[in-house]
Amino acid sequence: MNARWKLLIACLVTFAIVAPLGWLWWNSLLPSKYSVTQMGYADFGGGPESVMSGGMGQDDQSAISIDTLVVAADRPADVEYELTARQESFTLASGRSVDGFTLNGESPGPEIRATEGDVVEVVLVNESVTEGVTLHWHGIDVPNAMDGVAGVTQDAVMPGEEFTYRFVADQVGTYWYHSHQVSHEQVIGGLFGGVVVDPAQDARAAADGGRAVVDFTAMVHIYDGGRTVNGLAGDVAVDAKAGDVVRVRVVNTDNGPMSVWTSGAPYRVVAVDGYDVNEPEIVEGQAITVTAGGRADLEIEVPPAGSRVELGGNTALLLGDGADSVTEEPAPREFVDLLAYGTPAPLGFDPADADRHFDLVLDRRPGFFDGKPGLWWTVNGGIYPDVPMFTVSEGDVVTMRIVNNSGDVHPMHLHGHHAVVLSRNAVAASGSPWWVDSLNVADGDTYEIAFVADNPGIWLDHCHNLPHATEGLLAHLMYTGYTTPYTIGGGESNEPE
Amino acid sequence: MKSAYRVLSYIIAIEVVVQASMIAFAFAGLGIWVDKEGGVLDKAAMESDLNFTGVIGFAVHGINGMMIIPLLALVLLIVSFFAKVPRGVPWALTVLGLVILQVTLGLFGQENAYFGMLHGINALALFTVALMAGRRVSSGAASSDQPAHSSATA
Repeated sequence: MNARWKLLIACLVTFAIVAPLGWLWWNSLLPSKYSVTQMGYADFGGGPESVMSGGMGQDDQSAISIDTLVVAADRPADVEYELTARQESFTLASGRSVDGFTLNGESPGPEIRATEGDVVEVVLVNESVTEGVTLHWHGIDVPNAMDGVAGVTQDAVMPGEEFTYRFVADQVGTYWYHSHQVSHEQVIGGLFGGVVVDPAQDARAAADGGRAVVDFTAMVHIYDGGRTVNGLAGDVAVDAKAGDVVRVRVVNTDNGPMSVWTSGAPYRVVAVDGYDVNEPEIVEGQAITVTAGGRADLEIEVPPAGSRVELGGNTALLLGDGADSVTEEPAPREFVDLLAYGTPAPLGFDPADADRHFDLVLDRRPGFFDGKPGLWWTVNGGIYPDVPMFTVSEGDVVTMRIVNNSGDVHPMHLHGHHAVVLSRNAVAASGSPWWVDSLNVADGDTYEIAFVADNPGIWLDHCHNLPHATEGLLAHLMYTGYTTPYTIGGGESNEPE
Repeated sequence: MKSAYRVLSYIIAIEVVVQASMIAFAFAGLGIWVDKEGGVLDKAAMESDLNFTGVIGFAVHGINGMMIIPLLALVLLIVSFFAKVPRGVPWALTVLGLVILQVTLGLFGQENAYFGMLHGINALALFTVALMAGRRVSSGAASSDQPAHSSATA
C-alpha cells in the first residue's frame, strides 16, 4: 500500500471521528436570543393536543400574552414595600464582609410580612446590579406576569429601572423571594429575603390554642462557605423563655439539602413549603431534610433547661435562658419521612382522574451543551434545549412521575403551583397530604406527584441547585393559548438562571 | 506531525501530574478548612461557593479531567494517523482508552469509593503510557523500528 492510500485512509478516519462530533457540537449551540415557547418539544402527557404546532402559539394571533395575568389594577394594596437592589461589598450581621448583593442595604433582604388575603405590592428598584435583577416569589402561586423570571415573565430590571410586583397573599405560610436573573450568582451572593403570610386574626388564635407563640424566621444561607442564619453565625439566641412555643420557619436558600434537628427538646414539623401538616406527631432523634429552596416550620415547646435548633455547619438557634448549656446533639442518621408523617386529609381533587400524565426523567450523559463538551444533565434523555414543554390546559388534573438516575440529588421546583406527593418508589403516601413546591429527589428515587393546573401562564420547572439549572436542568409547564413577549438573551440580556 | 505526536503525548503525561497535584491540593485545603478554620462540609456546603486555599483544585481537576484531557487524547489519536510513528496509532488508542476508563472510574467513584482507588492506580498507568508513547518518536523505539518500516513502504 503506498503513502497516498495511507494518507487517504487517515483523512477518512479523521473525518469519521471529527464530522459526527462537529455535527453534535454545532447542533448544541443555543441561539443568542430565543423564546422559551420555541425551545424543546411539546409533551401533551396523553391529553388533547392543541392545534398550534411548531411555534407553540408564539405566532398564533389568538394566543393571550402572559402580561395580562395580573391582579386587577383597581385593587388597592394592603401591604407596600420598596426594595432597592445593590451590588456591593457589605457586612453581615455576623461581622463578616461579603462581596455580593443587598436589598435596602442588607442581606438577607427585609422580610415581607402580610396577612391572609392582603394585596401585597413590592416595588423593586435596581440601583447598581449591572446584569439586571428580578424578584421571584418562591412558593407563592402568583399570577404569571408577577413570577419574576427574566426572559419568561418579564425583562430583567436594569440599573436605574424599577418594576412593581402585585399579588394576593392568599396562601398562609413561609415563603421567600429571590432574584431570577443570573440567579446562580445573585442568590448565592445574597439577593433574597423571607416572606411570611399570617392567618387572619381569629383563625390564628384558634390554631394557637391560646399558647404564647414566638415566631422566628430562620433564613439559612452559606456566604463564602460559612453557614449563617439571618446573617449570623454560631449560636444565635431567640427571644423566648421556658414554656413558650416557638415556631421556627426554616428557609433553605442554598443549593443543596440541609438537615435540621433539635437538642434538649422534641419538635413537630407543623408546615412544609408553606402548607400545614395535618396532625403532626412529636419527633425525637430524627432530623428533617429541608431541600434547596424548600421550607419547614418546626414547633418546639421550650423546656425549663432550654433547647437548641441545630441548622448544621456550627450554626444553631438557642431557645430559652439555659440553652447555652444544652449539649449539642450530633446530626441524626434517621430522618422524618414526610410520606408517612401526620394523618391523611382530603386533597380537594382526585389524582386518579388525571387528564394528563407526564414523565420527568433526570439523568446525565456525555455530549455537548451550548458547544461545551462534558457530562451533562438530561431531561427525558435530551440535553437542554432538547427538553419537554409540559403542555396543559387550564383546569387539568396533572400527574407527574419524577425519576432521578443522574447520580446526584435534585431539588425540583415547579413555579406557580403546589403539587401533592402521591408515592415514592411505589410506596403510597400514608400521612398528611404532603404539598410541595420544592421536592428533594434523591439519586435513585422515583416520585409520583399530582397538581391541578389552575394558574395559567408559562412556568419554569427546574432544579433549584441553581448551577444545575445553568447546566440545563430545566423544563417548563406551558398552558395552551398563552404566549410570552419576552425572550432569553438578546438585547434585554435576560438570563434567568 | 511526529513532533506534534510527541508534544501531545508529553502534555497528556504532564496533565496527569497536574490532576494529581490539584486534587491533593484541594483535599489538603479542605482538611485545613475543617480542622483549623471551623468549616463544616455537608451537601448544602458542597453545593455552595466554598472559599479556602486549594478549593480551586476541585474545579481544575473536574474541567481538566472531563474536558481538556479527553480532547487532547482525541487530538493525539487523529495526529497518530498522519504522524509516521511506529505503532503510533495503537499507542494513541491505548492513551484514549485509559482516559475514557479514567473518567468512568472517577464518576463511578461518586457511587463507590473503591472505584476512586482504581482511579488513582489508573492515573499512573495513563501517565506511563503517555510518556512511553511520546518516547517512541525520539531515539530508541523509533530508530529501531524505522528501517523495517521504510523498507516495507519503499
